[in-house]
Amino acid sequence: MRTDFGYFEEKQLGKPYDVKLLKRLYPYARPYKLLLGLSIVLMVVITLLDLSLPYLTKIAIDRYIVPQAESVQGLGRDVADSNVRYLRADLADAKVEAIVQKNADIFKRYESFALVKLDDLEQLEKKELAVLRRSDLAGVSMIAAYFLVIVLVTFVLNFVQVMVMEYVGQMIMHNLRVRLFEHIQSLSVAFFTRNPVGRLVTRVTNDIQNMHELFTSVIVFIFKDLFLLLGITAVLLGINWQLTLISFMVLPVVLLASIHFAGQAREAFRVLRIKIAEINTKFSETIGGLKVIQLFLQEKENYRDFSKLNHEHYLAGMRQVHVFAVFMPVIELLGAVTIAIVIYYGGGKVMTGSISLGALVAFISYMRMFFRPIRDLAEKYNIMQNAMASAERIFLILDSTERLPQPVSTVERGSTSGLKTQTFTSALDNITQIALKDVSLAYIKGETVLKRVSFKVSAGETVALVGPTGSGKTSIINLITRFYDPTSGQVLVNGIDIKKIHTFQLREKMALVMQDPFLFSETVRDNITLGKDGILGKNMQQLIKDSNCNTLIDRLPRGLDTVLAEGGMSISSGERQLISIARALARNPDLIILDEATSYIDSSTELKIQKALSNLMANRTSIIVAHRLSTARGADRIMVLNRGRIIETGTHDELMQRQGFYFRLYQLHSPNL
Amino acid sequence: MKSFYLIKPYLQENRLRIVLGIICLITVDFLQLFIPRVIKWAIDDLAALQTDLMKLLAYALYIVGIAVLIGLFRYVWRRCLMGTSRRVEEGLRNRLFAHIQTLSAPYFDKTKTGDLMAHATNDIQHVRMATGMGMVALTDAIVLGTAAIGFMAYINIRLTVFVLIPMPLIVVSARFFSKKMHRMYGEVQKAFSDLTEVTRERFAGIRVIKAYCREKDSAARLETKSRDYIDKNLKLVRVTGSFFPLMVLLSNLSLVIILFLGGRQTIDFTITPGDFVAFIAYLGLLTWPMMAIGWVTNLIQRGKASLDRIDKIIKTEPEIDDMPDAKPIKKTRGGLVFENVAFSYGLEAAVSDTTQVLTAIDINLDHGKILGVVGPPGSGKTTLLSLIPRIYDVSQGRILIDGIDIRKIQLADLRSLIAFMSQEPFLFAGTIRENITFGADAKEVELIQSTQRAVLYDTIQSFPEGFDTIVGEKGVILSGGQKQRVALARALLNEAGIVILDDPISQVDMETGRDIITTVRSMADNRTIIIASHRISAVRFADHIIALDRGRIVESGTHTQLMANNQYYAKIFRLQEIEEEFINAH
Repeated sequence: MRTDFGYFEEKQLGKPYDVKLLKRLYPYARPYKLLLGLSIVLMVVITLLDLSLPYLTKIAIDRYIVPQAESVQGLGRDVADSNVRYLRADLADAKVEAIVQKNADIFKRYESFALVKLDDLEQLEKKELAVLRRSDLAGVSMIAAYFLVIVLVTFVLNFVQVMVMEYVGQMIMHNLRVRLFEHIQSLSVAFFTRNPVGRLVTRVTNDIQNMHELFTSVIVFIFKDLFLLLGITAVLLGINWQLTLISFMVLPVVLLASIHFAGQAREAFRVLRIKIAEINTKFSETIGGLKVIQLFLQEKENYRDFSKLNHEHYLAGMRQVHVFAVFMPVIELLGAVTIAIVIYYGGGKVMTGSISLGALVAFISYMRMFFRPIRDLAEKYNIMQNAMASAERIFLILDSTERLPQPVSTVERGSTSGLKTQTFTSALDNITQIALKDVSLAYIKGETVLKRVSFKVSAGETVALVGPTGSGKTSIINLITRFYDPTSGQVLVNGIDIKKIHTFQLREKMALVMQDPFLFSETVRDNITLGKDGILGKNMQQLIKDSNCNTLIDRLPRGLDTVLAEGGMSISSGERQLISIARALARNPDLIILDEATSYIDSSTELKIQKALSNLMANRTSIIVAHRLSTARGADRIMVLNRGRIIETGTHDELMQRQGFYFRLYQLHSPNL
Repeated sequence: MKSFYLIKPYLQENRLRIVLGIICLITVDFLQLFIPRVIKWAIDDLAALQTDLMKLLAYALYIVGIAVLIGLFRYVWRRCLMGTSRRVEEGLRNRLFAHIQTLSAPYFDKTKTGDLMAHATNDIQHVRMATGMGMVALTDAIVLGTAAIGFMAYINIRLTVFVLIPMPLIVVSARFFSKKMHRMYGEVQKAFSDLTEVTRERFAGIRVIKAYCREKDSAARLETKSRDYIDKNLKLVRVTGSFFPLMVLLSNLSLVIILFLGGRQTIDFTITPGDFVAFIAYLGLLTWPMMAIGWVTNLIQRGKASLDRIDKIIKTEPEIDDMPDAKPIKKTRGGLVFENVAFSYGLEAAVSDTTQVLTAIDINLDHGKILGVVGPPGSGKTTLLSLIPRIYDVSQGRILIDGIDIRKIQLADLRSLIAFMSQEPFLFAGTIRENITFGADAKEVELIQSTQRAVLYDTIQSFPEGFDTIVGEKGVILSGGQKQRVALARALLNEAGIVILDDPISQVDMETGRDIITTVRSMADNRTIIIASHRISAVRFADHIIALDRGRIVESGTHTQLMANNQYYAKIFRLQEIEEEFINAH
């Protein structure tokens, strides 16, 4: 089990294969056509070599070890009884001649050769036999040498094939993964709000991994297993077609058993997977809610539920054990039956001399080979099914195009690699004005969070948004950064609807400092630059100074190059604020969008943050969601929001004079809260 | 095997099955060895051309007969041995689960849920594999291995010795490679979890990435990790890709030896052609046990390591548990007292000023009274409340119920005295009914009553399935406010003498909040209530109110007293009053 993300999806299983999905995978395989082809060729060659081994044994037996009964048939019944095996001795050789003379009683002499019954050979001395069967011995050595060579070559080819195949498979998956990641990343924020991060991560990691298995197992299945089966059939038909057909009588039964088993095994696996997923859920739920369980003294009940689930898992496991305990022996039994048929029917044919003994032995070896891939078939079926479900989920995401519409760019996209590099004809000028014109927004239909809001912010101005929770402050930020598009009305930058500006250009001009700064588990430097080049030496020092990060960076063991732990937890929330301010500074933006932190920060850090913020906002346009009225007071203009509407707007003094909502808030808060 | 005791009971319980299984396994091994012998007879007869169809039929029937027996015995051993390993798995998992339930909050602060989950799945699986496949493979390797060698030696010792030359190499390299594979596999796993983490982080921080136009860098980052993962995979495949062909190669080398030496021996009549063929068959039977020896030792080692890890968890004592002299207590009529209580998470935390979460807390609350707790976020409200049911134990001072130190009360009794509603309502995947009753056999009337009091009844009635609506994992189908009210109903169903409510109306609207507060007030008199809230309206009626700031009580008194005091409490009160006014006005 790799991660526990998304195990709930295990309940769904795909079809074992789906041509449409495979077709969609093809473009990713295309760049590796040649290597893929090589791998397939290698596979075929290896299979052929594998097939040749039993055949070599057959040749060894027939030609050298056990002489053929037919070898003397041409001489007629009177000389050679076809039911006795003879060895032929060539009298031209002086040494052979000597042995024949010495043992004249067992040899029958003809003009240029002598025949001896195989059984009678045992009476000879070993040395004499060695001389007599010199060519046979040499032949066996030759065969052994061939065998050795083939075995070594197969070893090397196998290694090469596996490596090539793995490389190709992994590269294809790598490309698919990067492509999928980029695709998901390009989807709108709304998509991310709706889909839990865990699920999306599973797509990019586990599901792709499953696909990899699909890819390799399909290819191995078609080009290795199927080819091997076909190859064996061909070789066997070549040796003796009658025996082949008779041996294959068992095949329909094997096929039926396999199909039946595949169904059973799939069901068993499915139940097992569901049960283990349920157990995992229960486990993580218990760990997460343990306080509640303990407080309500639910340990016993919870254990009872768990052990029930666990027992169901046990039963499902036993079911699987049962299915395999039946299938494996059945297949082996059928294999044995085939061998019995070969011995009975094939043995009869050996007796009548229509096939050789070596052929019979080869038949037995080939039949053993034949049953191996069949036995693994069911397992492959499962893998494929699992992978198909993953493929389906991946393509579902790749098909979703939930993006905010972008203006059509006139310059073509660099699309050589997976990474899109986009350039545009006209860059957005410096931001001189931002305006919301009659904007309404509803995240969910019917629940309007902003109602016909209009305002303008000019360059250099600092505007504070004030109002209770849920009044729509954050939504305004979401619109200006174009995380969302308004339901109605327009957001304008320099008088242009931001829908007509490419989002990249728009966002390039602004910096967002979030309430809860998100830090990546990378170095502090990377967290500040966020991959932006060209911030070196002096610039960096200035940046650190402006953002008041000196003390923090001095404290860290490796300074700027300290890697922050998961979620940036190794530093305090105030320090995280400082880093996120440095991040904004590094961008040198026109517009600062600041969502002030609400969490408690000790007063000395608070002071540092205030200073850093004033450095950041100096000479820039800023829109601030203010949670502290002291922040709002410093702004050029304050907008008070309530229930999605701007109810008051003006400078601090104006609003104080007006004696409305702001006035009363301020009175309460002063001097400092 | 110090941790062997963990699986011993399950093995003992199944000892008959195990014995039967092993007997069947050995029988299968021997039967398997007979098939080559039958083939040998047939081949010898055929080589000498001295046989007839009847005899061949007899051989064929022998083979089928033996195969049928093999099938039967194989079924039995698979069921017995694999079944036992499944039983071990079940038992061990139950035990781990039961133990984890007894552990207390401080343990989970230190331990990652993911790690525990890994123990519950991977480690238990390793133990199962070691007891199931491990047992089988070991027996198989020993019995089948020795028997096959015996049969071969019976045919010809010299040939056997030569044929066996590559075999030790198989054992050694199987062991070597599987160790290496295990390590490489660990690296692949590591790279995979790095990849997962990078992906997770990028998706979690999508707003930053989008706001700063970092899509390209972020994709490049993923690409690096993905490439790293591929490299690790290819390294692994370099090992596996050479391992399996190597095994085939080594066993084929033996075949070459048989062909070369055995062929010669057949020619010079040292062995018969049947022996020659049988040798090949035995070799086929021998390769697997040889590989198994190397593989199984690793499997067992891994299983042992996993078992040790599980043992470590099971040996962890709960930090909060009954003291040896803990007293049972069934009812409380007395009050609740905090005596100079201080608390800090973890003893060894380095930074001194931030460790102390609570300092010098003194509270004296009579039975049937209501205590309100207010304070800014992070001031220690939740921690204070969690000390009462001993989710954490105090670091200093003591808490008394009815004059007894709560650490001297049996934990189960203490908790049964308390109805607790936590700030973050935790819902379990199940129905609303299950989430409220929590296994207690509450009457329908009580259930309805408690949900009505939690202002949840009408909402539940609006669901098509009513109380039997399935809420999904962590209650996903419910809104924050609904979840909170489920947790409240759960606490209200409990007739406990002390009621603790941690921010009960934080996620409900003003009106619902008011109704909930009415309920809470009506419960007073016979129950002691402690209620923490950031909304003053939830505490203003309390008999006694304390305001916390950075772990200390900075103000205390009744609503009137605190208003007169004109400090934190009064300020917040007025602020919220204005907010409410405006919300109502607009």
